[in-house]
Amino acid sequence: MIQESGLKGKTAIVSGGSRGIGRAIVKHLCACGVAVAFTYVKNGDQAQELMEQIQASGGRAAAFQLDVRDFLKAREFVEKVKNDFGRLDILVNNAGITRDKALMMMTGPDWLEVIDTNLNGTFNLTRNVIVGFLKQKSGDVVNIASVSGVAGLARQTNYSAAKAGIIGFTKALAKEVAAYNIRVNAVAPGFIETDMLSGLRQEYRDEIIKRVPLGRIGRPEDVSGVVEFLLSQQANFITGQVIVCDGGLFIQ
Amino acid sequence: MQPEVLEKEIRDIIAQVIEKEPEEVLPEARFYEDLGVDSMMALEILAAIEKKYKIAIPEEKLAELRTLKETVAVARQYLNEKEGQNV
Repeated sequence: MIQESGLKGKTAIVSGGSRGIGRAIVKHLCACGVAVAFTYVKNGDQAQELMEQIQASGGRAAAFQLDVRDFLKAREFVEKVKNDFGRLDILVNNAGITRDKALMMMTGPDWLEVIDTNLNGTFNLTRNVIVGFLKQKSGDVVNIASVSGVAGLARQTNYSAAKAGIIGFTKALAKEVAAYNIRVNAVAPGFIETDMLSGLRQEYRDEIIKRVPLGRIGRPEDVSGVVEFLLSQQANFITGQVIVCDGGLFIQ
Repeated sequence: MQPEVLEKEIRDIIAQVIEKEPEEVLPEARFYEDLGVDSMMALEILAAIEKKYKIAIPEEKLAELRTLKETVAVARQYLNEKEGQNV
């Protein structure tokens, strides 16, 4: 028998939802009937516009300004979402930044900011939702990692370290909470058409496209589709996994 | 609620979660050292108490659930607050 996704009526938090992959995840989950609370740091206008767009199409979304580096603010935010929405079923840790440089040019702040937002931010939100998930004996976490954390990318030692950290976190937590009916998975996108790629020189883009077996740069929707799958009932027996979504670039 | 009734009910909850006989859960037996409770079991105890008495105990209180006696005291505190609100 074909199963439905089972996502309708659930409530989710998506960090870093105003732009890029996060934005596609917010739209995708809302289209599946999920009520989504998403965070943004600086892009209030884009967050507002997304919220209105979803509300106009009959979905339910709310935008919150949150710097995921702040543990106590993350706690307040999670409590507020639970109060406003009545429950919480899903966490998607997506908020991320890059500060790409060769290691020999990388400064302490370049390193720390990337670890703090990507890795510590994932801890801060997950730590604040996990007790609720354990108590209700249900919940799903999807972390957005990167092929940078799987294969390593030059000029991204900070980002590769943070994303590899997220992958270790995903696997360890999956084992820790599986007995409580909580699944924890990760998606590792390759080159995806977002603001993060906008600074790329045309020659470098052409070079990437040549190397991707599927012959193109990915779309944010390519990633949000995998997130939907991992959160759906079809993925009921999958936990602790990292699904690489990169057009075949890093086939191992 | 009578103090002894509350203690008995919570003793039963704890015994059920940690899969021991209620008689083994002495008022001052230490959960972690004497009864083999782990942090996940402590959370289950807290969640079961919240459900039974329809109260919300903050996560920070988990660290105070170290014996039956202390657990009853925490439950009593939040039951009193709840009853206070209802007046």
